[in-house]
Amino acid sequence: MELTDVFSTNFATIDWIIVSVYICIPVVIGLIVRKYIRQLSDFIVAGRSLRLFIAIASLTGTELGLVTVMYNSELGFLHGFSAFHIAIIETVCILAIGLTGFIVYKLRQLKVMTIPEFYQIRFGKNVRFWGGIILALGGILNMGLFLQAGARFMMGVTGYSNPAGLKLFMSAMLIMVLIYTVAGGMISVVINDFLQFIVLSIGMIIGSIFAIKAIGWNNLFKTPESVNSASWFNPVAEGSEFGTIYVIFMVVLTFSAGALWQSGTLRALSAKTPKIAKQLYAWSSVSYLARRVIPMLWGICAFVFVSQTPKLFAAFKGPEAINSQFGMPIFIAKVLPSGLLGLIVAGMFAAFMSTHDSYLLSWSSVITQDIIAPFKKNSFSDKSRLLVTRICIVSIGLFLLIWGLWFEAPVSLWNYMAVTGTIYLAGAFTVVTAGLYWKKASKTGAMIALLAGLIAILGIFNWTTGENVPFYLKDKFIGMMTFVIAILGMIIGSLLFPDKKKVEEVEQ
Amino acid sequence: MQLWKFILILTLSTYSLLVIIVSIGGAKNIVQMLKELKEPPDQPEDLNT
Repeated sequence: MELTDVFSTNFATIDWIIVSVYICIPVVIGLIVRKYIRQLSDFIVAGRSLRLFIAIASLTGTELGLVTVMYNSELGFLHGFSAFHIAIIETVCILAIGLTGFIVYKLRQLKVMTIPEFYQIRFGKNVRFWGGIILALGGILNMGLFLQAGARFMMGVTGYSNPAGLKLFMSAMLIMVLIYTVAGGMISVVINDFLQFIVLSIGMIIGSIFAIKAIGWNNLFKTPESVNSASWFNPVAEGSEFGTIYVIFMVVLTFSAGALWQSGTLRALSAKTPKIAKQLYAWSSVSYLARRVIPMLWGICAFVFVSQTPKLFAAFKGPEAINSQFGMPIFIAKVLPSGLLGLIVAGMFAAFMSTHDSYLLSWSSVITQDIIAPFKKNSFSDKSRLLVTRICIVSIGLFLLIWGLWFEAPVSLWNYMAVTGTIYLAGAFTVVTAGLYWKKASKTGAMIALLAGLIAILGIFNWTTGENVPFYLKDKFIGMMTFVIAILGMIIGSLLFPDKKKVEEVEQ
Repeated sequence: MQLWKFILILTLSTYSLLVIIVSIGGAKNIVQMLKELKEPPDQPEDLNT
């Protein structure tokens, strides 16, 4: 089958117009709300003024990005309904955090703006510095494939198959995000997130109805001939690529990410009160369920559609196979009508922008507040911090362009995200939990736990994939063991090397 | 399989409801937030945090 047939699409001029008009709106909002920025906390945590519903929209806007849609649809495309287990695990974890207030309630009470700020309160300046570096490293690497995934989505949906042109287009998109984030900071980000939440959600719900209609409700639940029936529905069935270790890794990862992923936690820290921070998580458990299940549904529909079209199916098989991330975009480009396709793509760009803006703001504020500021003492004014944060936003944007253009992950997009997220989360989850709830936690234990997170870097290289790879080199095992080592490091380090001077309890 | 059918229906229905509630509530919240941000800050920012 010719590539042009694979990428044939319903995307028409009207869709380009809808998308083009839509992507200009956030920039205008960023420039308008610029006047509300008076001090650093306005820029980073919107003056801690977020009420419940805007916080829910903002958290959803952040955590439901184009990359989220791409990696979840890829999981659905490759593994079918068995991928839903990740959605259920994550939803239960987020709901548990919301109902108990675990970590987020206390962090909001402390009025910190970043997670490493807490490290300093509990463990001192050095832990904050190193914690900030590891957080920024993990977070920025985690963003590394956002542009690439976005470009693949555009290619699949629009049928435009010139890679160079697509990279230019995605670069232009990134520049627009940079403009409104640098201008309006968190205030601009939450207003845009709200707008994007509405557009994206409507697009996703209508898109799902069309996707199910195209496949047929009953067909959706029939196992395609080319896959193993048991592993299509059951993540721990024999032959499943997930397995028990993966499921346990997902429990630990989604729970720690739910509580401590800086861009999400930033919403809790921006909430008007600690109680709202807690409620935010309970309500958002529905959004977390949708952000997984709906794209996975699209991926499943895409696979059923592809497997019913022999020529298309052949394009995804063999040594010359096109990347599985193309499955969902190619499917929606063929089954959604023009006009609706434009709305969905606008929604996806909304998702692209809302994730980028928050992540850029998160990691740049960590670099400014936690890596640079603690060593500048009194000479670092609020104005200078704002300037440095804005410079960091632009610098991270440049890095993303370079990394996104040349790095090709050997594992699936989600597994790359999971492993790079673990670099930060393994240490952060251990250090914050121990810092808040274990009196004996010491600086040495905290440093060991944070540095242990770096082990996860081993999980993004080529040796994790291919046939006959021993279990200890698989990315899921490396990810899981990183958490185990970080927890053991904290316990053993704290018991062997307790702090000489008693650190005051956080509550005081 | 029944579980996945239930999850799918649950997701689409609860999310649709959430979108309606958040759209209305969020618009009101934005107006309140911008009003508050127009007022002068209560106390100066602590730059050492």
